[in-house]
Amino acid sequence: MIPLSDIHVILPAYNEASKIQEVIRSIREQGIQHIIVVNDGSKDNTAERAQQLDVLVVNHLINRGAGAAVQTAIELARRKNWQWIALMDADGQHEAADLIRLKEKMEQSDCDIVIGSRFMQRNRQIPITRIFFNFIANCMTNLFCRENFSDSQSGLRLLNRRAIDAIDLQIDGFGFCSEMLIRAEQVKLQIEETPIRVYYTDYSIRKGQDFQVGLNTAFNFLWNALFK
Amino acid sequence: MEIRAFQIVVPLISLLFIISFVNRYRKSKTSLKEAMLSSLLWLGIGIFAIIPDLISNFIASAFGIKSNINAIIFLSLGVLLYMQFRMFSILKEQEAKLTQLTRQIALREVESQDTK
Repeated sequence: MIPLSDIHVILPAYNEASKIQEVIRSIREQGIQHIIVVNDGSKDNTAERAQQLDVLVVNHLINRGAGAAVQTAIELARRKNWQWIALMDADGQHEAADLIRLKEKMEQSDCDIVIGSRFMQRNRQIPITRIFFNFIANCMTNLFCRENFSDSQSGLRLLNRRAIDAIDLQIDGFGFCSEMLIRAEQVKLQIEETPIRVYYTDYSIRKGQDFQVGLNTAFNFLWNALFK
Repeated sequence: MEIRAFQIVVPLISLLFIISFVNRYRKSKTSLKEAMLSSLLWLGIGIFAIIPDLISNFIASAFGIKSNINAIIFLSLGVLLYMQFRMFSILKEQEAKLTQLTRQIALREVESQDTK
């Protein structure tokens, strides 16, 4: 059993002032109290808005990317000896109730990492551009992995202590999603996927990856894979 | 053999650079590897300026390129691409250090809050 009180939910956030409080409240409604916002050099008042709800805010002085924010979160978890951390997007696209699904999946399978997969869900409403970008990203990631992941780019993940200790990430940007899976496989961690819901709004689409960012992500991922 | 102006000027500039790299190394302002590589590069440029036809014809015949001018262009492109690759690698290293610094400052801030 994984007690909810032992799960720390990490929200890497960049300019999410308009959504961050809503996301924090939705997580608390699930009975999870430990919430950490990694404010990745936001130019708006994301940090202040999060602090108003009495959560721990870790501040990057300058924007270094989602991967860098996750690296900080993992390092913090090691130092604080947290047993489970959940990573969740701060733009409101994830359903907080799915954190419970991730927890249940980890309990059932005794795995080290659970990925919330948007593409295992029936009746999914995902924009066609997102399906296309994710298809490309999945192909690239699965090329370097033994398993075939249906959603290698999902931001909703649950990691146990073994994963927290074993995974060292290098990529600062969105490429960390793929890198985490590859490194986890290299150190023989068990990875499972479970279906999750996702809500695409104009806001979350605007915030997410576009063609330019996607190209950059792909390039950085390949650079890292080939030259590191 | 006719000696043109660049055959005097370029080797002199190369020599100045080599002396400067040796001095920088002696003053511990650069590493031995960097000083040697830079000196070798300038030594090569200096020698090439003294006997350009001999070297370019040698490169052309070694790589099976018809004209020595084409050989120089291909070689220069290769060198430029390599330098671009090196610069990108250095940029990536600097970015990684910047991220590391940003992360450590953030974590120290949290730790200092804990101790208050």
